[in-house]
Amino acid sequence: MTTGTIDRPLVAILVRMLAGAIVSALVLCGAVFLAVPVLAAESVAAPQAADDLGALRPTRPEDARRGSLLLRTATGQTLVDAPLVDTDVAMQVSGMFARVAVTQRFRNPGKTWAEGVYVFPLPENAAVDRLRMRVGERVIEGEIQERGQARKTYEKAKKEGRKASLLSQERPNIFTNSVANIGPGETVEVAIEYQQTLVYDQGRFSLRFPLVVAPRYIPGVPAGEEAVTGFGGSGWAQDTDQVPDASRITPLVLDGSERPRNPVRIRIDLDAGFPLASLDSPYHEIEHSPGPDAVQHIRLRQDRPVPADRDFELVWVPNPGHEPRAALFTETWNQVPHALLMVMPPVRPGAAPRAPRELIFVVDTSGSMNGASIEQAQASLRLALKRLSPADRFNIIQFNSTTRWLFDDAVPADPGHLGRALRYVDGLRANGGTEMRPALERALAQGGEESGRLRQIVFLTDGSVGNEESLFQLIAERLGRSRLFTVGIGSAPNSHFMTRAASFGRGSFTYIGKVGEVQEKMAGLFLKLESPLLTDIAVHWPPGAEPQVWPERVPDLYLGEPVVLAARGLAPGTRVTIEGRYAGKPWHQTLDLSGGKANPGVHAIWARRKIAALMDRKTQGAPEQEVRAAVLETALEHRLVSRYTSLVAVDRTRSRPVDADLETKPVPVNLPAGWSQQKVFGTLPQTATAAPLQLLLGLLALATGALLRRFSLPRGLA
Amino acid sequence: MRRSLLVRASAALMVAGAWQLGQAGWIEAKAWLAQWLIEDAWARAAQGEAHPRPWPWADTWPVARLDVPRLEVSRMVLSGASGRVMAFGPGHLDGTPLPGVSGNSVVSGHRDTHFRFLRDLRAGDRIEVTRPDGSRKEYRVTETRVVEQSETGLLRDTDEARLTLITCWPFDALRPGGPMRYVVRAGEVVF
Repeated sequence: MTTGTIDRPLVAILVRMLAGAIVSALVLCGAVFLAVPVLAAESVAAPQAADDLGALRPTRPEDARRGSLLLRTATGQTLVDAPLVDTDVAMQVSGMFARVAVTQRFRNPGKTWAEGVYVFPLPENAAVDRLRMRVGERVIEGEIQERGQARKTYEKAKKEGRKASLLSQERPNIFTNSVANIGPGETVEVAIEYQQTLVYDQGRFSLRFPLVVAPRYIPGVPAGEEAVTGFGGSGWAQDTDQVPDASRITPLVLDGSERPRNPVRIRIDLDAGFPLASLDSPYHEIEHSPGPDAVQHIRLRQDRPVPADRDFELVWVPNPGHEPRAALFTETWNQVPHALLMVMPPVRPGAAPRAPRELIFVVDTSGSMNGASIEQAQASLRLALKRLSPADRFNIIQFNSTTRWLFDDAVPADPGHLGRALRYVDGLRANGGTEMRPALERALAQGGEESGRLRQIVFLTDGSVGNEESLFQLIAERLGRSRLFTVGIGSAPNSHFMTRAASFGRGSFTYIGKVGEVQEKMAGLFLKLESPLLTDIAVHWPPGAEPQVWPERVPDLYLGEPVVLAARGLAPGTRVTIEGRYAGKPWHQTLDLSGGKANPGVHAIWARRKIAALMDRKTQGAPEQEVRAAVLETALEHRLVSRYTSLVAVDRTRSRPVDADLETKPVPVNLPAGWSQQKVFGTLPQTATAAPLQLLLGLLALATGALLRRFSLPRGLA
Repeated sequence: MRRSLLVRASAALMVAGAWQLGQAGWIEAKAWLAQWLIEDAWARAAQGEAHPRPWPWADTWPVARLDVPRLEVSRMVLSGASGRVMAFGPGHLDGTPLPGVSGNSVVSGHRDTHFRFLRDLRAGDRIEVTRPDGSRKEYRVTETRVVEQSETGLLRDTDEARLTLITCWPFDALRPGGPMRYVVRAGEVVF
């Protein structure tokens, strides 16, 4: 170029302008031709919202009474004077158990009588056995009843103007608490209690407490009018053929412009039974102080409540040398002894050489994974890919509304394939629905041909779907020699899905809630993937002393997982032998079951495990009538809430005057932390063209061009 | 030297400008010419053709005609409301009932072309919907409102026949892709 130095900046500017104009023209023009997905929404496909709920009809602000509290929801409704719920959680953690009281205070801010309906999560293995309603000074103890009966009891009380509370289970980790006849400005308190066992895995104890039911993707077509039952739910989704109770598991979500609601205060007394090497809450700031008897008193920072928008987790690790190897907890209940036994098999990593494997990574790229979640999934995948050895084979499958895959078949993990895979992972974007079934079918179908190779499916998802049961069925039917490992991603993963899918998939589950955890959590998963299993586990009781034990068959155990058995009808002093095979060698251990720590609530754990096993049978095809009868018997005897039983409390006195109306009002919930409302709930169609902008740009460019031309002509001629 | 550069730059700018104008014109031309071809397809629909494509490679076809007598406006509604369809005419949102059938039928169109007339609609205005089989339904505008794009509750189905027309708002915004929508709702006139 012969351009003088003075002209360079000018040239640069002009070139840039020209390039900009051309590029923008091309881009804008292209945008018109390319199909712009109209509703790139995860779940609110147009016909999927419920409108059969009088109370939920969108209320126009101008219809609302003066001084009412208006709330917008993510699906466009306006709620008037929605009940406020604040929650206190008090946990007593001891050994392998947690006894938890969740106290929900329903306040009616309106000027009319209200029924509050709150859909909230609990841990998926919670044995819920108590409900108490407090009205002023009176405390009313809840009663366990068959689900339909409990609903009738509640509806009758509601009609008669008595205060009542009904706690039903929608999923093992989703519950609905309905509270009837809350007077204007009044507060009704409901305390729910449950017993749960803790997770002890790879030397760490952990306790997960979910705080919000994340929006679920509801597959299927809306069920017809005739399928609508007498009591519809209060959710944003309409019941479909695949998720017949969709409206009950999709609580209305607050619009992003509203302030978060449903504050939760958490207090924990932790009696670990051993000195602690660490105590940590990865997602919430906590304060803790040891009490006089080595009990840790744990509070949220400054004892301040947090919004219910992400799971709370507490993790503690015993000092080296103090790891429990075996533990026995007993309780005599209704004159029958119950026991919970935990045994840690003495296995170590690196006991056998790594076998060549086939790894299938399945990653959820639906709209609910947008933001922090997809970053966590990408980081996890990168680590896993780098961990592969050249003898391994692998593939990547991603799914949202459709299922796609990187390679048609699993390929050797050589540098070329890994390079392509890493670029593929970089390009993952989260958008659209969660059609999980085709992806699972694809992942499970590729097995079979090649023998000898361990086939492991690593499934990264938030599990935000409403059709869990049919997915479990699919896994149980088609698993073959594959093993499925779930990695729960994000701030509020569906723990019921993660644990059951892993159980039907004969693998294990891991949670990753932030990018900073990826390294550590994935390392734990790699250990499980790469170490030999403890297999062929059998438990031998002395003849004539066989107790009822759950689980009936102990699954294969991965490195760091203990054998946990719940037994009923076990004579004290019984000797039990547990045997199995580890890395080709037999292993066995005999335990003398005398003594043990007396612990209230062991019977509830036993019953909860039995119910879980019965429900698994239903998934595997046992007739529902049979399963229902067996679950009912156990749940009623042990007073547990289940799919077929609910807790109900009714006040003796009437509080609502006969002439006062009662309105049913759902309690809106927060969108889980880090989620994108737009990606999950979608938007109305985009309806503007670029024509006006192009018109302006075109005219501007022409005018500037003309102006320049005028300057460039010789003076005098201009 | 400097002068010739300026000449070149001005020429380039003018070409770019002309290109942009051409694009804008093309969008407008496509929007209005297409309605012509669609009229032709509509005539074939009246003769019983199930999915009369206006041109051989089209992935859409007319499903209804909207007429607003007061504004002397007539628009052909196409099936599907993707950006590609809406370049040629207002699009009917899949999954909602067809216009002229009972239920909440949702149609969206570009604010700067086919649905610009929405801003002139007033409550009480009559909208006639003609279906391919020649049957007609009359609607009356019940309300017009500005909503945020997240208000997908508008897409819910209803028992009575209803028409929900959606376009972007504000009408004269320069840039496409804003978060607000203008919605016209109309209910069936029952004689």
